[in-house]
Amino acid sequence: MPATSGGDTLLNDTAEARSKALNQFLASVELKAYKIAQAGLRHQDDALDAVQDAMLQLARAYASRPPEEWKPLFYRILENRIRDMQRRRTVRGRVMAWLPFRRDEDEEDVDPLAQAPSPELAPVARLELDEAMSALDGALTELPERQRQAFLLRNLEGLDVAQTAQAMGCSEGSVKTHYFRALQALRQKLGELEL
Amino acid sequence: MNAGEGEKERTTLLPGGLEVRSRLILEESLSRIDARTRSRLNQARQAAVAAASQPRRLGWLIGPQALMPATGAAAVAVLVAAFMLTGAPRLKTPVVDNPATSFDVLDLVTDDDAMNLMEDNDNSFYEWAAAQSDGAAPGAGAST
Repeated sequence: MPATSGGDTLLNDTAEARSKALNQFLASVELKAYKIAQAGLRHQDDALDAVQDAMLQLARAYASRPPEEWKPLFYRILENRIRDMQRRRTVRGRVMAWLPFRRDEDEEDVDPLAQAPSPELAPVARLELDEAMSALDGALTELPERQRQAFLLRNLEGLDVAQTAQAMGCSEGSVKTHYFRALQALRQKLGELEL
Repeated sequence: MNAGEGEKERTTLLPGGLEVRSRLILEESLSRIDARTRSRLNQARQAAVAAASQPRRLGWLIGPQALMPATGAAAVAVLVAAFMLTGAPRLKTPVVDNPATSFDVLDLVTDDDAMNLMEDNDNSFYEWAAAQSDGAAPGAGAST
């Protein structure tokens, strides 16, 4: 039947366009999301798992929502996932502490090729950036969780105050407070980051 | 390179105050994420896009491994909570599957004669019981 066929085509086109939009959205946030998860979890595989879970949950539960809502929703899911994993790790740590011959949780098999620096920057500039990154990573991990979230969502992901509040599940005033305190703490630790 | 040149290079490399510099540093750190991680993120994205185009119910069947972290966390939490509340593992209470057997046990407990017999606890009772179950003991016929 032509009408049904036309309707099916329209539905297929819409589904395809949505899949494409979702793919583009996830591609645009995946690296930043990974960085945020890594800052919260300090573990590569856990961070990847958190991002993967957040992607799946967004796709399954919220893909039909308007695309402009995806970003705060995605980061809300991600933050919840990070918090769940932190709690699970705390419980696991308590259990593992009772067991002899345990492997250190923070041990990771490091791929030396993956860690090798890329050759675009001059050695001195690369060294300075390495130092700055290391200092910033260290300072970020020392921040209280909510301050770190506010800082990374605003500064790295570029969410505005309202979107950050939506992602963090708090008021805009709280976001401003967390962000301001994060900046203060980072300034105390890093100065103006003039390394 | 002298100090002045170094300062000039830094200023060019990382302009602005803390907010701008930290953003530049974080963005630079994104470009250094290794190929293995990028590949895994790509795979996760493809899986998520595929999941979005399938019915919700099928999504649960397709990705049971997605439930494993939560299930594992819940199981560990329950175990830890149970262990912390009880302090030590307890002996498991025996469960009787056969209702008839459980009523036999109830009869045994509520029957005074049977209880007296059990409390006597001498070996002759066990010998007698063994002889009864074999049905071939020399004293079996005499006792009845």
